[in-house]
Amino acid sequence: MTNVTLRRTAGVEEGLRRPVVRRKPGRRDARIGFLFLLPLFAGLLVFRFYGFGYNVWLSFNKAGAFGRARFTGLENYERLFSDSQLRISLVNTFKFTAIVVPGVVVVALLCATLMQYKFRGQSAFRAIVFLPAVCLPTAAILLFGWLFQTRYGLVNAVIQAVGGSSVSWFGSSAGVTVVITVIVVFLSFSVPTIILYAGMQEIPSDIYESATLDGAGPVRRYFSLTLPLLSPSLFFVILTTTISTLKLFDVAYVLLPPEQSASVNYGLTAVYYYYQLAFLNVGDRGYASAVSLLLFVLILAVSIVLFRLQRRFVHYGEDG
Amino acid sequence: MLHQYRLRWWTFAVIAAVALLILVPFAWMVATALMTPGQTLLVPPKVIPNPATLDGARGVFDRIPYLTLLGNTVVASIGRVIGTLVICTLAAYALAVIKVPGARVILVTVLALIMVPGDIFIVPNFAIISAFGLTDTLVALFLPSIFDVFGVFLLYQFFRGIPRELVEAARMDGASHLRILTTIVAPIARGGLITLAILTVLSEWKELLWPIVVNRSIDKLTLGPGIALLRGSYTTDYNVLMSAGVLAALPMIVIFLILQKRFIASVARSGLK
Repeated sequence: MTNVTLRRTAGVEEGLRRPVVRRKPGRRDARIGFLFLLPLFAGLLVFRFYGFGYNVWLSFNKAGAFGRARFTGLENYERLFSDSQLRISLVNTFKFTAIVVPGVVVVALLCATLMQYKFRGQSAFRAIVFLPAVCLPTAAILLFGWLFQTRYGLVNAVIQAVGGSSVSWFGSSAGVTVVITVIVVFLSFSVPTIILYAGMQEIPSDIYESATLDGAGPVRRYFSLTLPLLSPSLFFVILTTTISTLKLFDVAYVLLPPEQSASVNYGLTAVYYYYQLAFLNVGDRGYASAVSLLLFVLILAVSIVLFRLQRRFVHYGEDG
Repeated sequence: MLHQYRLRWWTFAVIAAVALLILVPFAWMVATALMTPGQTLLVPPKVIPNPATLDGARGVFDRIPYLTLLGNTVVASIGRVIGTLVICTLAAYALAVIKVPGARVILVTVLALIMVPGDIFIVPNFAIISAFGLTDTLVALFLPSIFDVFGVFLLYQFFRGIPRELVEAARMDGASHLRILTTIVAPIARGGLITLAILTVLSEWKELLWPIVVNRSIDKLTLGPGIALLRGSYTTDYNVLMSAGVLAALPMIVIFLILQKRFIASVARSGLK
């Protein structure tokens, strides 16, 4: 609290005295400033900018794990269009994203809403909701692989106990899609829950009071007040979940090792395919680079589309 | 504060159901970890391991160097946190407190880089790390990720709120920028530094793709990729697999239970607008 008042008065004073006090950093200050920025710049230059340039260059070459790269022009890019594995991996990736993102939003909204209630064990519930975010993903993926195991898994045992017949989860595209999306939602709903919960806390309660006086019921209040006022947080959650699911790798890699060629295509994601191209066997790094650039462009395009939609649908308060 | 709803019994039922849905898988992991291989292969499955045994855990220690993997995870996490904090603190100080010429342009570039999915490029990163001769080292695990543009922006937001008078006064007294950073700015923005540290540790904890690409020998891997190696080759020994899961997941869960409030506050702050 003191911090805030301090900052406020400081702002006022600065505003009053601005023409006199405001000074540009001296040349010495600037030099030290750039010295402070140097490690960041150096790292970004090497890993982001040089790395990106190298990746573009490599995509015009034929290059393996060993030996020199050979220039092949647009060959790798032509191959993008005829590669059926790539098509499978992209379709899977977008399919998973299309299911995971609404799933995460719904589960996170539900949990964040439940966290608004006052009840005994509230903090325990908050800890439980956060547990999947701190659980090692590999451990959780192995665990779900075991839960969905066809013959001895718990899920099929429950299905049989209620009278259904057991499902071969890894034997079909639909089965693998269910398993993968369940795991991804389980692993990624916790952080969105906390963000939405924090967003709900910021909504002033007098809005609800006046809405109640105007005769709006709880359902109406939720959909006409809470959700619109929450839309900045919702947008953030949708954006980050979409991007991270488009980059999905770990679930597919742990669940479907490359050796199990029968079912691996059901869960092959774009990044998993990229990894296989570049680092399995002799490695086809030139083509892999072209694939990664395509993925890069696709993720960027999706982000831009989401930002465009945000302008239309997201409601920012007068002060935000 | 949001309007408090009245708690009805069915709301409590939903809360209990959600909690159970999250906890049951973990309980099943622990139960399976304590079974013999024979007990895991019963149809229908028996829920309580009887007799309970630690054979699974013994199997883990036989098949993977668990303690080495744990040590590597700790070293990689600490290295990454220190590297990230140093680089981001220095950069954010230059941008928010010194306000170097062109700070705006740099900040816009930083924001753009946050949006660009540059981390998918493992092929060039691998080439760079091999050019440095760092493959199969612990440094390789975290070196590319310490130049964290998100961290710079996060700390920039914290540093921006620091009263200018404090810094000016210290400058008048002849304090160097490094001194101001360590004795004035860092203590005031402690919450921001802790947030960045926790988010960085969590992110390192979840790494899988980069470690398996850059480090081929198991002695240089972290826990996540380390226990992933158990899959496939030992598929029938689910007690070993689940013991590995429990042993690998436990350290962070314990840390979380101790620092619960800090973890949740950090994540809540990560939702930048």
